[in-house]
Amino acid sequence: MVDFARVQKELQECNRDFEVSGIRVVPNGEANLAHLLGTIPGPLGTPYEGGTFKIDITLPDGYPFEPPKMRFATKVWHPNISSQSGAICLDILKDQWSPALTLKTALLSVQALLSAPEPDDPQDAVVAQQYLRDYQTFVGTARYWTEAFAMISSLGVEEKVQKLVEMGFPEALVRSTLESVGGDENLALEKLCST
Amino acid sequence: MSKRVLCKFFAHGACLKGEHCEFSHDWKAPPNNICTFYLKGVCAYGSRCRYEHVKVSRQSSAPSSEDISFPVERLSGTATHSTGILADAAAKHSASSEPPARPAWETMSGHDNILDQGYGVGYFSNVDSADQSICSFAAAGDCPHGEKCPHIHGDLCPICGKHCLHPFRPQEREEHMKTCEKRQKHLEVLRHSQEIECSVCLERILSKPTTAERKFGILSECDHPFCVTCIRNWRSSSPSSGLDVNSALRGCPICRKLSYFVIPSVIWYSSKEEKQDIIDSYKAKLRSIDCKHFDFGNGTCPFGTSCFYKHAYRDGRPEEVVLRHLGAEDGNTVIAKNMRLSDFLRNLQIR
Repeated sequence: MVDFARVQKELQECNRDFEVSGIRVVPNGEANLAHLLGTIPGPLGTPYEGGTFKIDITLPDGYPFEPPKMRFATKVWHPNISSQSGAICLDILKDQWSPALTLKTALLSVQALLSAPEPDDPQDAVVAQQYLRDYQTFVGTARYWTEAFAMISSLGVEEKVQKLVEMGFPEALVRSTLESVGGDENLALEKLCST
Repeated sequence: MSKRVLCKFFAHGACLKGEHCEFSHDWKAPPNNICTFYLKGVCAYGSRCRYEHVKVSRQSSAPSSEDISFPVERLSGTATHSTGILADAAAKHSASSEPPARPAWETMSGHDNILDQGYGVGYFSNVDSADQSICSFAAAGDCPHGEKCPHIHGDLCPICGKHCLHPFRPQEREEHMKTCEKRQKHLEVLRHSQEIECSVCLERILSKPTTAERKFGILSECDHPFCVTCIRNWRSSSPSSGLDVNSALRGCPICRKLSYFVIPSVIWYSSKEEKQDIIDSYKAKLRSIDCKHFDFGNGTCPFGTSCFYKHAYRDGRPEEVVLRHLGAEDGNTVIAKNMRLSDFLRNLQIR
């Protein structure tokens, strides 16, 4: 059985210092806390800078004695992350897990992985090959993928905000709502109307 | 000679005073079960009353005048049980017809009178002050008699802040100070332990819902606190998830330092010595319990000589282990483990 009391605490703790870490974990739709959605900002000074990456988190029954299952929901070009499935190759999510780690620290480690790829222990061989043989192309592709997939919600965000503000909602509320639904205009409108 | 009337509390098996009780703890002593209501005039229970309905009190045991010392000396003013009997005695006193023949216990009602009549001064000077007990009201915090209290008021204990140090019993004083200090220390440690959170369940260990969970699991090699349930859960979790027993499970979840055992404890320690004390007392406790694997010599314990439990035969004889010393290749001596045929077979190569 998942220790939901602990998960609840972790969520509170994590979202409290969102301003500092930029890391957020929210329940994924259902009321069940075993399914979560984490978001991490791309680390500065890397091709992932400016992107917001979504990570799908599933808590196994043994959590926190078993590692959480994490997978990138946003497409990423990285030697240790599968460009197809989003699977992450990170020791602490496997045999180096410790119950003293939390979702936040695990996400921080994933963020650190983005800034420090390990091409010698790859998850995606193609990306790793490119990283080792042609670093410039790798950076270009990673940058392109970030702009194409990790910034999609932020690209049209100003337009969406404008549109919703014109409907008569306060701008601050519109922004926070848009953020909470992951940039989906229709969902945001639904949420704004229901509150 | 003052031990005359059977203690009511003793009769019910509940006297807390033991041998210091001012009433008799001898079953042969006559019980004082005369109905006080009947003596006063009316008893609502009538013939169904379980106390005796007799007018005349125990004349046979009437005291001589020197018995007067009994009530004041013995009556330590201790709260509960003597006051109840005082009331009884007072009632009887009012009912009895012949004052000089009144029984010993009745005189208890008059410890104030004794002072009034001037017995007090002579009386107190006769008795060694170390033999008097101190006023328990004052010891508990507040004596309603204040200055006029016939009992000695104890000195203030600087640790617990109560007037409970006997001025004339140095040994008792010292003892009290010692226990007080110990208790104070324990409270301090407990307060400190109260704050500690387990990094696995993220809860305060001593605030967990059940008593069984309110225990620290101390790791032998590092100083990171966990609840005993959490750390044991982690260490015993199945290695199915690909976790390595030695590198992950047996290590501290925080610093990953390898610890071979966990010590349960109700308090957290603040120094190395305290930790060692906890470990030692835990090991000492286990050493007194017979090892179920060893089973008085009928079984074999996988932990062998490093087992924490007692390895002894049924007649109390401890297990004798003859260590086998072998010369190693490099010239040093090594202690050989039990040899098994399978050890050799494993290395056997069939060509």
